[in-house]
Amino acid sequence: MIELINVSKAFPSGIDALHNINLTIGKEEFVFLVGSSGAGKTTLLKMLYREERPTSGKVVVDRVNVAELDSNQVPFLRRNIGVVFQDFKLLPRRTVYENVAFALRVTGAPRSTIRRKAMQSLELVNMLRRANAFPDELSGGEKQRVCIARAIVNNPPILLADEPTGNLDPTTSWEILQLLDKINKRNTTVVIATHNKSIVDEMKRRVVELEGGRLVRDQQLGSYNV
Amino acid sequence: MFSTIEFFIIEAFRSFRRQALMSSVAIATITVSLTIFGLFLLLIINMGNIVGSFSSRLDLVAYTNKDLSLEDAAAIQVKIARLIGVEKVEFTSKTEAWNTFKSEFGSKLALGEIIYENPLPHTFAVRVRNPESLPALAKEISNMEVIDEVRYSGKLIEQLRSLIGAVRIAGIALVVLLSLATLLIVVNTIRLTVIARETDIYIMKLVGATNTFVKWPFIIEGIMIGLIGGGASFLILKFSYDSAAVKVVQALPFLPIVNDPWLLFCVYAAMVIGGMGLGLLGGYISVSRALKNET
Repeated sequence: MIELINVSKAFPSGIDALHNINLTIGKEEFVFLVGSSGAGKTTLLKMLYREERPTSGKVVVDRVNVAELDSNQVPFLRRNIGVVFQDFKLLPRRTVYENVAFALRVTGAPRSTIRRKAMQSLELVNMLRRANAFPDELSGGEKQRVCIARAIVNNPPILLADEPTGNLDPTTSWEILQLLDKINKRNTTVVIATHNKSIVDEMKRRVVELEGGRLVRDQQLGSYNV
Repeated sequence: MFSTIEFFIIEAFRSFRRQALMSSVAIATITVSLTIFGLFLLLIINMGNIVGSFSSRLDLVAYTNKDLSLEDAAAIQVKIARLIGVEKVEFTSKTEAWNTFKSEFGSKLALGEIIYENPLPHTFAVRVRNPESLPALAKEISNMEVIDEVRYSGKLIEQLRSLIGAVRIAGIALVVLLSLATLLIVVNTIRLTVIARETDIYIMKLVGATNTFVKWPFIIEGIMIGLIGGGASFLILKFSYDSAAVKVVQALPFLPIVNDPWLLFCVYAAMVIGGMGLGLLGGYISVSRALKNET
């Protein structure tokens, strides 16, 4: 599903964000990307949905080298990748429903489909009852549920999450992880960048560790520390 | 498809309302610029009209020799009238001319005591169709045997013609400059609304919106702003032109003020359409620039 081959990324400022990364993530896998801040986790995720391009190497998503992808094809790549953020990135002046429907609107889907899918998605994350609320009226955990609902509304085969629990308390974090696990079980590849030790240790999934832009560990059923 | 178009329009209105202040600034800018633009356009059209009407009033006057009989004069009149480019020939006999002269000046001068005999010739006032044919016609008429002298204001026509040309060139240059200035202001004003919505654009792109999709609401917003600005300047210009025209006609009745409804309609339509075009272009340029900054 996802394959990084000799991927390096140097920013124009001279910072070496990633160094010769080789990584393969199979279909429907659940992977934790761990490492301290600045290790290159976010940069790696951004390359998958082409917000960043590697300086060298190949980034293959669903058999396509997205590093070489023509920019007018990028929107179609992104419709196949849901992204969840630490800061949720919800549109503040739109309701929960509108935020989720937004991701479908941009695909030009018919109204009936938008409504049905948005409702299904909100139901899955257990936010249907707050469909008409505005983001400001929600708790952090609720906002993250909406963000997840938006990410999966297109039924993407891949879901990426960048520090999804970074702004949440331990209980809520755990609920969010359960939700991501549920989505993984619905045949979605899930990659989570995190430095939440307790969650990684509890889940016992594949752990890929980055340190200073290098891949230093790739372990099945791993924990946060070696 | 329909729901997408509806979405664009709703988005445009939403952004328009949310940035009411910014939108008002953009509308006011377009209104002011287009009003100035229209004002100059009307001024230029009127100047052209005045110059044109003056040059078409210019006649050629031919004086016969004093001994020409009325019968011969009638024959000459027919002959001149048949020349190519002549619109009308008016004959004034020397008796008529003398009588007019005497009635105008006779009370002031004791003419009868100085002049006993009519000193004036018969005259032909020739109106031409096209001022440019004047020099050639003047030559042709003066070549006739019984014509003593031909007068026309050749120099004045040349000057008027170059004035029309200068006014036209200055007008075009002015209109181009004003359009560019307006476009620049509109682009920058709409750009502010784009910057205010950068997060929206970022999220739209993130969830897989194409550039075209992102652009449409901004373009529609630009068109709306332009239409309102164009409409406002149309109203301002129409009312001020109409009331100014009345005053000018009262004060200077000899000035031919343009009031051809079709021509004025074209000017006003140009302003509304121009406003729309400016808004469209402004929206397009500013959102394209914002999108170019993204990866």
